Amino acid sequence: MALVELRNLTKTFKKGDETITPLLNVDLDIEDGEFVSLMGPSGTGKSTLLNVISGIDRPDEGTIHVDGVEVTRLSRGRLADWRAANLGYIFQTHNLVPVLTAYENVELPILLLPLSAAERCKRVELALEAVGLSDRIDHYPRQLSGGQEQRVGIARAIVAHPKVVVADEPTGSLDTKTSDQIQVLLQRLNRELNITMIMVTHDAETAGIASRHLVLDEGRIVESGKIGTTAVPAVAHR
Amino acid sequence: MFRFAPYVIKSLWRHRMRSVLTASGTAVAIFVFCCVMSVQEGLERLTSDEDAQRTLIVFQENRFCPTSSRLPEDYAPRIKKVPGVKDVMPVQVWTNNCRASLDIVVFNGTPPRKLQQARDLKLISGNWSEFEDRRDAAVVGRNVAIRRGLKTGDQFSIGDLSVKIAGVFSSSIPAEENLIFTSLEFLQYTRGLDAAGLVTLHEVSLTATADPDAVASAIDAALRAGPVATTTRRKGAFQTSTLSDLVDLIGFAHWLGYACVGLVLALVTTTSLMSVQDRIKEHAVLQTLGVRPARVFRLVIAEGLLLCNAGGIFGVALALAMLSWSGLAVGAEGVTIAFRPSIHLAISGATVTAIVGIVASVLPALQAARTPIVASLREV
Ligand SMILES: Nc1ncnc2c1ncn2[C@@H]1O[C@H](COP(=O)(O)OP(=O)(O)OP(=O)(O)O)[C@@H](O)[C@H]1O
Ligand SMILES: [Mg+2]
Repeated sequence: MALVELRNLTKTFKKGDETITPLLNVDLDIEDGEFVSLMGPSGTGKSTLLNVISGIDRPDEGTIHVDGVEVTRLSRGRLADWRAANLGYIFQTHNLVPVLTAYENVELPILLLPLSAAERCKRVELALEAVGLSDRIDHYPRQLSGGQEQRVGIARAIVAHPKVVVADEPTGSLDTKTSDQIQVLLQRLNRELNITMIMVTHDAETAGIASRHLVLDEGRIVESGKIGTTAVPAVAHR
Repeated sequence: MFRFAPYVIKSLWRHRMRSVLTASGTAVAIFVFCCVMSVQEGLERLTSDEDAQRTLIVFQENRFCPTSSRLPEDYAPRIKKVPGVKDVMPVQVWTNNCRASLDIVVFNGTPPRKLQQARDLKLISGNWSEFEDRRDAAVVGRNVAIRRGLKTGDQFSIGDLSVKIAGVFSSSIPAEENLIFTSLEFLQYTRGLDAAGLVTLHEVSLTATADPDAVASAIDAALRAGPVATTTRRKGAFQTSTLSDLVDLIGFAHWLGYACVGLVLALVTTTSLMSVQDRIKEHAVLQTLGVRPARVFRLVIAEGLLLCNAGGIFGVALALAMLSWSGLAVGAEGVTIAFRPSIHLAISGATVTAIVGIVASVLPALQAARTPIVASLREV
């Protein structure tokens, strides 16, 4: 069984008379340790896909299993518990809590886990070290650069040692140089900590760090070969 | 829950101006609430105390102001013969103001020895022997002493009266701490009062088994043949009827107390709601990180509770301090209501604050816990 399994997933939005179908009967398997990039034109439903995998949105039909747990069946409260322990979410705009320091922001998700204060401290320090911000622990978000804020956001996503980390355009609002640094960081986390990553991006170069490339278009997921080549995308799961 | 305490406190601190203003408003309203409640309590005590129920007041029939009630002093032995009467204390009352006033000064002239037997007074300073020996000596209730800044040894003059203060007393009955006691003769012979052989009222204590109302009727019947007809009532009933105008007013003030609670409720709800609406996205982020909706609910409640209590506790403390340092009392026609701080007052103030804090944040907390995560994340 794959780590993440989507079966027959459909999601529609109604806007007045119009019905939008970002996801239509999507099937997808993601193996443990994979680094998957997801591309596609704007408005096709990439964020929507990440949201249903994270359980912050619900599909209309179909099932999602993550590590054997059918997340589509969990209640809202259970889903929250499940996310705290198993899922990391990296936002495009970091979304740090402005009143908390870098340290406190990173500690937030593991406050929800049954860990001792000493254990929490160790994990936060390790996570901040992994993103290279050990010297910024007492800084507030407004005292950090955009790239540093994003790195705190990444530390917050990995601190609970989740099974899966999803990232929605993690480099979308950064300059090229900072974006490169974040790319390297994500790749390292995937390789060294064996974190399974699903990353949405608009940038072919960013997608290049992934080991597998998907394209979402008109409600369907298409496996694309190599990014940057003109290889005809192969249909993945139909 | 306490793991999130820094987050709650820092969130309040982030908008400190707003938090401080809300807390101040709460403090003022709770302060007023406590003051109003203290008047209520004072009135309650005045009419329902053991003393108010088991003591009778003999007054001249159809007279209401202490200056117009004039009873012969020698009614005392006649009253004492009525079955059920344990003792009688003749009292001459003098007051600087027959109308409702916040700074009423009331003198009660009684035989000094009787006073010590009949009333549960404790001298905080001074001594009884000087009070008994000097004709113009007076003992002053603690509240009057605070309000007027009087000490043992001072000479205190008001109107035609001038007394030497022999002591300051406290009493188990708060309203008595608003009185000044002198000897009966001293007050009777005061210029302008012209009351030799006359007293304002007789205060009657009862035997343990006597029925107060039956004894009251018996006293009036026994004195009907005398030169002046009397009306005898329980002290509680006497005080309520003397203060009847004030009682209505205080009954109304009691709504003012509730209005203050309503004000705090509106104030804290508004602030909580604003704070929640400012942070729709932040709460969605928390939920994305794995915070349960129920915990978001509790976090908002905790913020409201903290905010309300910060102001409320301050308001309660301020009210208690004011009540104990000012010695305020309201009175009319020689009867006074004491505003006293009390444990009960502190507890009810704190409880009301806590309840209001919770109730006020329920709506904002529900809103925070219920907002859909994805839609809120898309907010800018
Ligand atoms: N709550 C909603 N109500 C109605 N339509 C919605 C809602 N959320 C998303 N949509 C629509 O669903 C479609 C997919 O949205 P989504 O945000 O997943 O796109 P995306 O692929 O992430 O786009 P982008 O690359 O611009 O971020 C869009 O057309 C969007 O307008
Ligand atoms: Mg998107």
